Amino acid sequence: MADDRTALESEARHFYALFFRRPLPGPVVERYVAANHLCFPALDPKAREMVATIVTRRLDAEAIELALRLRKGSRVLTGKIQILFYLVEVRSEYYGYFINQAPGWWSAVLRLLGAAVRTGWKCAKGLYLVWRYDFV
Amino acid sequence: MYDAVIVGSGPAGAFSAYALQGRNVLILDVGYRPPKVSDLEGNLYVLRQQREDLFEELIGSEFEGLHNIHKRNISLKLKSPYMSYIVRDWAELMPVRSGNFEAVASFALGGLANAWGAGVFRFTTKDLAGFPIKLADLEPFYDEISNHMGISGANDDLASYFGAEPHLLPPMRLTRLASDILDRFRIRKAGFERQGITIGRPRLAVLTEPHNGRAAYQYDNLEFYRPYNPAIYNPAFTIDELAARNQVTLHTGYLVHEYKEQDGGVEVTARNLSTGSYEKFLGKNLILAAGTLGTSKIVLEANRDYESRLPILDNPLACIPLFRLSRIGASLEIHDSALGQLNLIYQDANSPDLLQGTIYGTTGPLRSDVLFQFPLSIWANLTWARYLSPAMALLMLFYPGSNDSSNYIRLKPDGALDINYEWKSNQVAERRLIRAFRRIGYFSAAALCQYPAMGSSLHYAGTLPMKTNAGCYQTGADGRLYGTKAVYVADGACFSALPAKNLTFTIMANALRIARKVRTSLE
Repeated sequence: MADDRTALESEARHFYALFFRRPLPGPVVERYVAANHLCFPALDPKAREMVATIVTRRLDAEAIELALRLRKGSRVLTGKIQILFYLVEVRSEYYGYFINQAPGWWSAVLRLLGAAVRTGWKCAKGLYLVWRYDFV
Repeated sequence: MYDAVIVGSGPAGAFSAYALQGRNVLILDVGYRPPKVSDLEGNLYVLRQQREDLFEELIGSEFEGLHNIHKRNISLKLKSPYMSYIVRDWAELMPVRSGNFEAVASFALGGLANAWGAGVFRFTTKDLAGFPIKLADLEPFYDEISNHMGISGANDDLASYFGAEPHLLPPMRLTRLASDILDRFRIRKAGFERQGITIGRPRLAVLTEPHNGRAAYQYDNLEFYRPYNPAIYNPAFTIDELAARNQVTLHTGYLVHEYKEQDGGVEVTARNLSTGSYEKFLGKNLILAAGTLGTSKIVLEANRDYESRLPILDNPLACIPLFRLSRIGASLEIHDSALGQLNLIYQDANSPDLLQGTIYGTTGPLRSDVLFQFPLSIWANLTWARYLSPAMALLMLFYPGSNDSSNYIRLKPDGALDINYEWKSNQVAERRLIRAFRRIGYFSAAALCQYPAMGSSLHYAGTLPMKTNAGCYQTGADGRLYGTKAVYVADGACFSALPAKNLTFTIMANALRIARKVRTSLE
């Protein structure tokens, strides 16, 4: 159980660092561990191994998640990252990540285009990683 | 012996009780109530900025808000921690097995109307084709309920589809986006109407002014998170009011299983959920108002019938996102609501079906609820949600219930309901609507349309339909179940057809009509 907890804490830190730049709040880690026990009480060995590989090799979870989601593969990684997003979204310091606080048409359009380009890059990278590590 | 036993406390149960108030009436229901919500006052987005952590309120200590990650998808409204009482235990108390119908039922006091969209639309003469009753039979009851609960809206271009309401409260305030759509529609109204499209204000059982001791709506965006908003009508309000004035007797904690007619009345068998024992209640009349699925189960169970396939109706849904490009990157309008902003009617000249749509804003759910539904990377989805939300409206399009004979509900010997419902959109209406909206500056694409699973509308009906000459598992115009002397069906189960409209207002009016007849028979 202690090993499991340590693994989940590492997961939370790895996924979090991909998306957010501020320090990870302690309550979010605690809740991430508890939420995983509820949502994924018994991961199948393949999914467990996939998540462990992503964390220990510091792989790009965003890219892999996108590739798996588009290929309708395992939903475990999507679920775990979604849990993390839920847990941070309800905290006030992350409000600006989710709700636009700096109105402006041009800057928004540029960011949207950037996001589309990023998706293309992440998709290609994700498909390669999924193939390279045989994730399903 | 009671004059009447009413099973259920949703829209049909509440107005059956309302009709029979003052008589010796018993309401039996499981009747779950919401938890005490002490600290969720103010606007959702102001709270999210000011309160360091809203985990307890928006996700919940039991992680209720994560429901859709590890269980079957349910409406976002039904999974927040203070709202999850609405669907508490339903799958255990009334198991449903289906490969293509995502049913939801409620054992809360007030039923699924604890989370309804509050849309109140009268059925028209055309909607009632196939029913053995006429619009004139329902109109006085629509009027009475309208006065009782209070309806906001306008008798505008949609009045011919939704019926004229004589005592409307002022309409809800529109967001800038909804207001813009309505203005643009009015400028090009003739063109829209040539294509069979009419847009107008919604009729909502939401108070814009104080009414019958209830406060007006506050535009706080908390519909997904806080139960019992006094401004939004809930049948539990009526039940509680009647019980407090000793006009009816309310027994909660009982799950009704079956009934048996005997000399002079009906014996109802219910399980006391706290003791597990089965108890019997006697009434001169039985009014079944447990919701379409619950009522069907009770009737089939009473007949020990594990073979018959009853018909079932549900409104198929299509969800069309609409984007106003000039509003990309604007501020989100936080003083909004998750309720319908506008209604739309679409009548294709080549199709007999009349479709109804409701246009919603996007401020109700958390962004994390929808982040993973678009085919972009997570970071890109987050960026798109942040900058596109203020430019986005959702058109939820309702199709009429399909009378296909392959759609059925039946009871299995183990007590589970088996439901089959097949439907697939040909996307003709969606494509035409997208084209019409493009002409007024709102963009979308057929590829962006989403089709929630059948059962998602929560508009279930037609399992024990009213017929002029009722037969087995049908009801007469007075709601009485064929082959019985005093068993009445007052909820959506007795609908003969299901137009593309929220049916709740008509369930209420029809239940009031049926229970008034029962009252007359008692007098």
